[in-house]
Amino acid sequence: MSKQEKHRILMVSDFFYPNFGGVENHIYYLSQCLINLGHKVVVMTHAYQNRSGVRYMTGGLKVYYVPWKPFLMQNTLPTFYGTLPIVRTILIREKISLVHGHQAFSTLCHEALMHARTMGYKVVFTDHSLYGFGDVGSIHMNKVLQFTLADVTQAICVSHTSKENTVLRSGLPPEKVFVIPNAVDTAMFKPAPERLSNREIVIIVISRLVYRKGADLLVEVIPEVCRLHPNVRFIIGGDGPKRVRLEEMREKHSLQDRVDMLGAVPHAKVQSVLITGHIFLNSSLTEAFCIAILEAASCGLLTVSTRVGGVPEVLPDDMVVLAEPDPNDMVQAITRAIHILPRIDPQEMHTRMKTLYNWHDVARRTEIVYDRALRCSSQNLLERLSRYLPCGSWAGKLFCLVMIIDFLFWRLLQLWQPDRNIEVVPDIHLTNHMQDKTARDSNMYEHLR
Amino acid sequence: MEASIGRRSSPTQPKWRKVAYGGMQPGFQDNHTDESFLEDMIMNASVVKRDLLKVMLDSVSISQYVCIVALVVLVWTYTLRSSFNENSLMLLDIILLGAGFFVFLLTAEMLSFDLLLSYVLKIFFFITGVYFLSPIYHTLTRSISSDSIWALTASLLVLHLFLHNYSGSTVKAPGALENPTFTSNISLNASIVASLLIASRLPSRLHVFAIVLFSLQVFLFAPLVSYCIKKCSFRLHLCFSFGLMAATLFFVYRLHGLLFVLLSGILVFVNLLGPYWLIRIQEYKFEINGPWDEAKLCFNITE
Repeated sequence: MSKQEKHRILMVSDFFYPNFGGVENHIYYLSQCLINLGHKVVVMTHAYQNRSGVRYMTGGLKVYYVPWKPFLMQNTLPTFYGTLPIVRTILIREKISLVHGHQAFSTLCHEALMHARTMGYKVVFTDHSLYGFGDVGSIHMNKVLQFTLADVTQAICVSHTSKENTVLRSGLPPEKVFVIPNAVDTAMFKPAPERLSNREIVIIVISRLVYRKGADLLVEVIPEVCRLHPNVRFIIGGDGPKRVRLEEMREKHSLQDRVDMLGAVPHAKVQSVLITGHIFLNSSLTEAFCIAILEAASCGLLTVSTRVGGVPEVLPDDMVVLAEPDPNDMVQAITRAIHILPRIDPQEMHTRMKTLYNWHDVARRTEIVYDRALRCSSQNLLERLSRYLPCGSWAGKLFCLVMIIDFLFWRLLQLWQPDRNIEVVPDIHLTNHMQDKTARDSNMYEHLR
Repeated sequence: MEASIGRRSSPTQPKWRKVAYGGMQPGFQDNHTDESFLEDMIMNASVVKRDLLKVMLDSVSISQYVCIVALVVLVWTYTLRSSFNENSLMLLDIILLGAGFFVFLLTAEMLSFDLLLSYVLKIFFFITGVYFLSPIYHTLTRSISSDSIWALTASLLVLHLFLHNYSGSTVKAPGALENPTFTSNISLNASIVASLLIASRLPSRLHVFAIVLFSLQVFLFAPLVSYCIKKCSFRLHLCFSFGLMAATLFFVYRLHGLLFVLLSGILVFVNLLGPYWLIRIQEYKFEINGPWDEAKLCFNITE
C-alpha cells in the first residue's frame, strides 16, 4: 500500500448552505468527513443574498461565497470565461490538488471543471440527478454534460441506475464511473424514545409539493386510503405549487381532521415531524437516490415508495414497500405496510441503518476515487483536445474552440498576474483530528440549527 | 451454478448485487460494471416504421394549405394594384362563405335547426363586428412606410406557415378530439395580423371591410373546411387538393414567372423530396427508455 497522502480538495457547486437539499447536504457531510480523515477541503459557491465572501464552517471548512447573484433556479449566469480569474486565484491560493464538482445542473460546476482542466488539475464530477433524453431541455443539458465529462478524470454517481443514466447521456466508459451512494446522519435522525401506539396509524409525507415529487398521486391516494382504513391519519409537510390541489382534496372529501398540512418544514425540524409517524410515504415520479427515505428509515419509520429511478436500490426489501406510480397500486402497498407495521421495531431499524449507511464510509470510498484520479497521467492541450472531437461533428469542433480560447486566456492571465504574485494561504489547523469520531458526528449539524 | 468468469479467485465470494446500501461490496470495486449493466434499457420502443407512399399522401394537406395561402396573397396583390374593385371582392366573399358553409353542412354528422341557427347568428355577429371595426383598420398603419409593411407581412406569413397545425384545425370542429395547441394559436394570430396590415394599405373603408372579411374567412375557416372534407372522404380530399394546386399554379404563372418557379419548387419539395428525406433519416432515430425515466401518470389531472 502506498503512503496515504492527504489531498487538498476544492468542492464546487451552485448548491450549498444556506440552502438545504440533497446536493447541499451531500457536499457538507462529505467535506466534514474528509476533513476528519485529514484532508483539506475548500468549497466554492455563489453568494446567497448578503452572505458573500469567505466563511468558515465547522471543522475549518472554508467556503468561498463568490459575489455573484444566482440568476435562474439557483444557478449563476453562465459566462464561459468570466469565472477563470477567480477559480485560478482560489486554486493557487489554497494549493488545491483536485477539484470536485457537483450536480450536472450547476453552471458554476461546469465552468470551474473546465478551467481546472485547462490549468492541468485533476477533476472529479458527481452527478446527483436523473435526466431524460427526449425533451429539448434534456438534450441541451446532456450536450453540456458530454462536454464536461469528455475530459473528466473520474466520475461518481449516487446509485447504479444513475450510473447507467450518466453513461448513456455522456458517453463515458463505465469503468470511469464509481457508484458511491449518499448516506444519512444517523446521530441527528433518531427514532422517538418511546414507541408510538398502533391504535392510530400516522402516515408522514415530507416533500416539495411539485409535479415531479408526485403530489398528484397523493391527491388520488389519500382519500382512498382514508376511506379504506378509518384509523389512518396523514401529516403532510412541505410547500409548493401543488399545495392548492391538496387543500382542495382535503375540502372535497372532508378530511380536515384526518389530514394535517404543516406547510414548509425547516430542515432542523424534520426529525421532530418524522418521529410522530409510523409510515413514510414517498410518491416521487423520478429519483436518482432518495435521501428522504433514509432519513425516515433512520427514524424508525416503515417506508412506502414508488418504484422509480434508484429507489429500489436504496433500502433492503424488509424496510421498504415498493409500488408502481399508480394510485391503486400505491393504496395496496400502503395496506400491506399497515399489516407489516406491528413487526417493525424502530430502534432496531435505526441500529441497522447505522451499519448500512455511514458518511465516513462514503468519505473513504471517495478518497479511493481521489487517489485513483491523482494517479492518472497528466495530458497536454493537444491530447486533451482529441477527446473533445468525438463529441459530435459540429459540437466537437466547437468544444475544441472553447477550450483553446480558455487556454489562451489562462496564459494571458499568467502573464498579467503571475502565479508567484498570488499569496498562498498558510495551513491553519482549526481542529484536532484525534477527537472521538462519534462525538464529532453529533456536533456536525449542531451549529446549523 | 453461477458464471465463473470473475469468480475464479475465490469460490466463496458473494455475488455482486445492484444495491446501494451496506458500503462497498466485498471483492468488488465501486466502479465494477456488471454484465447486467444497461440490461433494462429499451431502445426505439415507440418508433413507427413509415411508408413512403403514405407520407407523400399525408403531405398533400401541407401543399394544399400552401396553395390556399398563395391564393390569398394573389387576391391581396390584385387588390393592392386596384385590379379588383370592392364589389367583386364582396361577391368573392359571399361566394366563399356560401361554398364553405355548404361543404360544412354536407359533411356534418349532426344537423339540427338550433345548431344551424347558432352558426348563422355567429356568422352575422362576426361580419357586423368586422364592418364596424374596419374604419380603425383603415388608418392603422398610415404612419408606417410601405416597405416595413411588406416585410412584416412576409415574415408573419412565413411564421404562420411554419407553426400551422396541418393535421387538424385550430378552430375546433364539433366532434374534434384535440384542443388547439400553443403553436397553432400563434400561427393563427400571425395570419390575422398579416391580413390586417395588408388591409390598412387600401383606399376605402369598403375595400378594407371586404379584404379583412375575405382574409379572416380563409384563415379561420379554410382549415376547418379542409378538415371536414378529409374526414368525409380521402379521395375527395385528394381531388380537391390537386385541383387547388393546379389552379394556384395557373394563376401565379399569370402573375409572375419567378414566383411560379418558386411555388412549384416548394410544392415539389413538400410532396416528393421531403418525405424521401424524412424516411432516409429515420434510420438514425435512437430513442432510449429505461428505469431512469420520469414516471408517466396514468390518469388525467383535472384542476
